[in-house]
Amino acid sequence: MNCEELIRYLSDYIDRNLSDELQADAQAHLSTCRNCHVVLDTTRQTIYLYKQTGRRGIPVEHRVDLFARLQRSLADRKDCSS
Amino acid sequence: MAGAPPISLDALRAGDPAALAALFEAFADRIYRLALSVLRDPAAAEDIVQETFVSAITHLDRFEGRSSLGTWLYRVAYNASLDRLRRRREEPLPADEPEDEAGEAIPLPRSLVEWTLTPEQRLADGEVAAELDRAIGELPESLRVVFLLRDIDELSTHETAEALGLSEGAVKVRLHRARLALREQLSVYFSERAPQGDVA
Repeated sequence: MNCEELIRYLSDYIDRNLSDELQADAQAHLSTCRNCHVVLDTTRQTIYLYKQTGRRGIPVEHRVDLFARLQRSLADRKDCSS
Repeated sequence: MAGAPPISLDALRAGDPAALAALFEAFADRIYRLALSVLRDPAAAEDIVQETFVSAITHLDRFEGRSSLGTWLYRVAYNASLDRLRRRREEPLPADEPEDEAGEAIPLPRSLVEWTLTPEQRLADGEVAAELDRAIGELPESLRVVFLLRDIDELSTHETAEALGLSEGAVKVRLHRARLALREQLSVYFSERAPQGDVA
C-alpha cells in the first residue's frame, strides 16, 4: 500500500471497516511512513476534539421555554381539532 | 439509535405529557444540533426543534416503523432545516455538493505537522473551541451534517444514511472528506501556535 491508497482508506481504517488483508497492509505502511502516521494521528485527534466539545444542546435558559411553547402549540392544535 | 430510551408511540398518540417530555428529553438537543449545523443560527435552530416535534406528534400515523423514531425525527428536522435554508432568499444556497463517488480523488493532506493537546487545553481553551467552530463552519453543509451525525452524535453509517436520505456509500465519502478537511484546518491552526509549545 502506498501513501495515496492509505489516505483513501484512512476513514475505513479508523472505523475498522477494512478487510483483514487491507487492515494489515495499512498497518504495515503506517509502521514505516511517518507522514501517514501523522495524518492518522491528527485525524483521530480531530475527531476526538469534536466529540468532546461538539455536543452542544439547546441553551439552558431557553430549554424550559421551548418545551412550554411546544406543549402550548400541541394543546392549541388539539383544541382546534376537537 | 445508541443511548435513546424506548418511548411508547401509543402514549404519544394518546397525548401523554410524560411521553412527550421523554421524547423531548431524548431528542431535542440532537435535533437542535442538526438544525444548527445546517442553519448556523441558534434562534432558527430552536424554531426547527419546535416545528419538528409538532410535525412528528401530529403526523405520528405516518411513522411506519421502518426506521427508528430517532432517525425519523432527524429526517423531519433535516428536511425542515433545508426548507428554511432555501427560503432565505438573501443568502446563497450551500456550495455545490461534492462528488459522492468513492473513486473520486480525495485531496492529499498538505499539513504534516504533528500536534497534541493536553486534556486541560482541550477543555479550557476558549480559543480552541472558537477555532473548532470556525473550521466546521467552513465545511459545505453537506459534509458538516454527515460529520455531526457520524462523529459527534455517533450514529451508524446506516442511521445517518436514513436520516439524511443518502446512500451509505455517500455517507462514507462525505465523512472521509469532512474529516480530512477539518484535520487540515486544525493542523494549520495548531502549527501556527507551535511557538507557544502547543504542537508536539
